[in-house]
Amino acid sequence: MEEEEPPVFKSWNSVYAFVIGVLISLIVLFYIFTSYFS
Amino acid sequence: MSYIDWLVASFTILSIVFYGIWKSRGAKNIEGYLLADKELPWYQVGLSVMATQASAITFLSAPGLAYSDGLRFVQFYFGLPFAMVVLCITFIPVFRNLNVYTAYEYLEKRFDYKTRFLTAFLFLLQRGLSTGITIYAPAIILSVILTIDITYTTLFMGGIVIIYTVYGGTKAVSYTQMFQMGIIFGGLLLAAFMVIHLLPPDVSFFDALHIAGKMDRLNAIDTKFDLNNRYNIWSGIIGGFFLQLSYFGTDQSQVGRYLTGKSTKESRLGLVMNGLVKIPMQFSILLIGTLVFVFYQYHTPPLFFNKVEVVKIESSLYKQEYKKIEADYSTVQIEKRGYVSELVAALDNKDVEGINSSRSKLKQVDKQSSFLKEKGVQLMKKNNSNADTNDTNYVFLSFVTQYLPVGIVGLLIAIIILASMGSTASGLSSLASTVIVDFYKPLVNKEASDKKYLSTSRWATFFWGIFCIIVALYASRLGNLIEAVNILGSLFYGTILGVFLVAFYMKKVGSTAVFYSAIIAELFIIYSWIADLTSFLWLNVIGCLLVMFLGWIIQKVLLFFNYK
Repeated sequence: MEEEEPPVFKSWNSVYAFVIGVLISLIVLFYIFTSYFS
Repeated sequence: MSYIDWLVASFTILSIVFYGIWKSRGAKNIEGYLLADKELPWYQVGLSVMATQASAITFLSAPGLAYSDGLRFVQFYFGLPFAMVVLCITFIPVFRNLNVYTAYEYLEKRFDYKTRFLTAFLFLLQRGLSTGITIYAPAIILSVILTIDITYTTLFMGGIVIIYTVYGGTKAVSYTQMFQMGIIFGGLLLAAFMVIHLLPPDVSFFDALHIAGKMDRLNAIDTKFDLNNRYNIWSGIIGGFFLQLSYFGTDQSQVGRYLTGKSTKESRLGLVMNGLVKIPMQFSILLIGTLVFVFYQYHTPPLFFNKVEVVKIESSLYKQEYKKIEADYSTVQIEKRGYVSELVAALDNKDVEGINSSRSKLKQVDKQSSFLKEKGVQLMKKNNSNADTNDTNYVFLSFVTQYLPVGIVGLLIAIIILASMGSTASGLSSLASTVIVDFYKPLVNKEASDKKYLSTSRWATFFWGIFCIIVALYASRLGNLIEAVNILGSLFYGTILGVFLVAFYMKKVGSTAVFYSAIIAELFIIYSWIADLTSFLWLNVIGCLLVMFLGWIIQKVLLFFNYK
């Protein structure tokens, strides 16, 4: 089956990398948030 | 609630329900009824997936959890984006290529009917009970507000959902969920704004965060690995990944949502949207809970938030004893308020010593409040051994009804009820789909007309609605509801996921091996839970890996004895 291309990104793998990248950024932000206010 | 609140709540709920019914009119076959004719765009798929997971429990229990335990529950969702990626790569293409109605249909194509039957049965058991809990959650709200017996509010809430789900099927579910999520996002922003607005004028948003942080309520990340610690980054990423993969990949209430997408691309984008938005959304809901906690540092909270149990103890022999504990609790709260003011002043003056000193005093009085609360709980148990002594589900509700202005209360109540209706409707629709596609069609009536299947689907939806209402009537003994649903899921999801992963990735393992490995794994998981061997999130990992490992071993043994 031929895959439909995703919007904005060149491939689906880039979309998945973006999702994981956002997760890692959120974890880092939450870590800083926890440390800063405690 | 005032008349205006009733008006706002009724108008919001009814207009969305009627819109869903209107958009879903004219379903002629089960593809239309169960899969909305597979014509929905990605954003509708994404919102429907999110609305199915975000039940009223999310808006009732999560702020309550944050109030008593901080932000650490957010770690529970860290495995979700990984799960979305795996689903997009493996599950969606397989389900769509085989053109299945339910996830379990695929298992018959890969293994045999008995494996399909076993997993579909485990799903029905788990989802039927969980959907009952999602009906129970908003029934508490109406029960507390109207001060009438929870039995009547459960029957009322369940009844509304049954009517529109039986009539409109999946299409009604998806169209109502799209608007529900819009209102939910708007309502959350409004709730956050209101909590901050209600803080004393000299306490800024940052001061509030500092107060919460110094009292251990901003603990979003815990990096310490501990199998018995329910929420840390490791249980969230590893255990959460397995739980979310099982939930989204093998639970028909979710599979049924993304199979409604127009194409594989639309289904994938819907899940990608969920992977990006879910964690920030959950974090915001928990943060609202911690802000409510800060708010109650300036306003004395009730000793116990569940008014129904308070009324019971106040009309018992222990009334005077309870009143004494309440008075002590108020004194401690006043003392605490003084230390909070000291802390804010120290923060403003950047006085590190002052910050540390008021922090340790606050922790000390916080311990005293917890001790007094526990004393009150023990008294309630002494008075009535069946008392519902977990009040986290009532914290946010109590705050909304007591402190928010007229109109906004109605809107937030509508949001909580709508959220419950969305996930309950998805649950009923998926239960009906599984009964019809995995049991009725292959076992009872293989060659019926579309009309017959459609009417039987409606009856199945109705039956499950009644079943879930009965479960809801018994749900009040389950403690914090959001945890109860997740614990229940964890008892079955690992095993079901294991069966699917064997199907996808272990091509040499056959039906007999996977069937018996699933039964052994499920029995072990139930034993682990009863014996309290580990925290519930790890049950998903253990169940899944056990099915895969045993499947591989049993297959080897069967091959050794030349058994196919």
